[in-house]
Amino acid sequence: MDPKAFAWLSAGLGVGITVFGVGTGIGRLAAAALEASSRQPENAGDIRTTMIIGAALIEGVALLAGVICILLAVK
Amino acid sequence: MQEDSTHVQPHHAAEAHREEANPQGGEVFTYLLKGLGDHHELKIFFGSYKILPIILVDNGFHVYSNEHTMEEAGQYTLHEGHPVRTSDGGHPALDLSITNFVAYEFIAIALMLIFSMVVRATVKKDPLKAPSGLANAIEAMVTYVRDEMVVPNVGTKKRATTWMPYFLALFFFILILNLIGLMPGCHAATGSLAVTTGLALTSFVLVNFIAMKDAGVGNWFKHLLGGAPLYIAPIMVPIEIVSLFTKPFALTIRLFANMTAGHVVLLSLVGLIFFFQSFLVAPVSVAFSVFIYMLELLVAVLQAYIFTMLTAVFVGLALGDHAKDDHHAHAH
Repeated sequence: MDPKAFAWLSAGLGVGITVFGVGTGIGRLAAAALEASSRQPENAGDIRTTMIIGAALIEGVALLAGVICILLAVK
Repeated sequence: MQEDSTHVQPHHAAEAHREEANPQGGEVFTYLLKGLGDHHELKIFFGSYKILPIILVDNGFHVYSNEHTMEEAGQYTLHEGHPVRTSDGGHPALDLSITNFVAYEFIAIALMLIFSMVVRATVKKDPLKAPSGLANAIEAMVTYVRDEMVVPNVGTKKRATTWMPYFLALFFFILILNLIGLMPGCHAATGSLAVTTGLALTSFVLVNFIAMKDAGVGNWFKHLLGGAPLYIAPIMVPIEIVSLFTKPFALTIRLFANMTAGHVVLLSLVGLIFFFQSFLVAPVSVAFSVFIYMLELLVAVLQAYIFTMLTAVFVGLALGDHAKDDHHAHAH
C-alpha cells in the first residue's frame, strides 16, 4: 500500500481511539460529579468548578493526540 | 455563489480570497489551514495591511518598514510567506520581524493598558464608592485571580501580593488574545506554538526563580531529589528533571492545541460548504458552526483560567513546605 495511505489510516485510527478514551474518561468524571452533587447539594458549585477543570485537563491530552494525528496526515 | 451568514464565523480565507484563489474541491481545506499560520502582513477584520516592519539578522541587521520597501530594496524577497535572499534563495539566519501574531500581542498589551488606566482613574476618583461598569468587572476578575488561584497555592496574602502582577498579566493577556481570535476576521495569536512556548517559558523561569529565592539555590537542587533518601538519587533525579520540563511543555501544548483545534473545526465546518459546492449543506453547517463557536468561547476563557491556575499550582509546589506553613488547606 502507498505509504501515504498508511499515514492517513493511522491518523484516523489514532483520533478514533483517543476520542474513545476521552469520552469514557470525561463521562466517568461527569457521573462522579453528578453523584456527589446529589449527595450534598450545598457543594454543587464547588463540584461543578472542579469538574470543569478536570474536563479541560483531560481534553488537553486528547487535543495533543489530535494535533499529532493531524501532523501525521498532513506531513 | 451565495454567501452564508457573515456574523457566524467565516474566516477571511474562505470569504475574501474566494474569488482570486478559487481552490476546487479537496484543496479548500489545505488552503484554509494554511491561513492559520503566521503572516508578515497585518490581517485583521478581513483586511490585509502590509504595514508591518520586517527585521532580519543575516550578517548584519536589515530593517525594512514594510513589505513594499523590502521588495524595492531588492536584497530579500518573500517566498511562500518567508523572506529569502534574492541572491541564493537561502533563509536569513534570524527572522525577528513584527509578524501578524506579534502585532496581535501588541494590540492585547495596548488593550490591557487602556483597561488598567481606566480602572485606575475610576478607583482614584472615589476610593470608597462601590465600583460599577468596567471597574467592577475588572475588579471582580482581579479578586478572583488573587483569592481563588494564587492565595490558596502560595500561602500568605503578603506573598501573593508580591507575585500578583505576573499572574494578572498572564491571565488577562491569554484571555484577551483568545477572545480576539474569536472575532470574525481575526487570528488567535495563542494558536501558534511560538507564542504559547514563550508564555510557558516565562512561567517556567518564574516558578524556578521563586523556588530559588524562597529556599535558596542549594535547596532547589535538593528538591530535585524529591525528599527521598540519597541512595535512590540515580533514579529519582532523572525523573524529577524530566517532570521539571514536562510541566511547561504540557502548558504549551494544552493552550496551543485547544485554540488551534477549535479554529480548525470551525474552518472545516464552513469549508464543507465549499467542498460540496451546494446550498443544502449550508444550514446544517452553519448550525454546527454556531454550536462549536459557543464551545470555543467557553474554551477560550477556560484555557486562560487553567494556564494561570496551573502556574499558581506549580509555584505552590515549588515553594513546597513553606506554602503549607501558614494557611489551612482551602478546598476550591
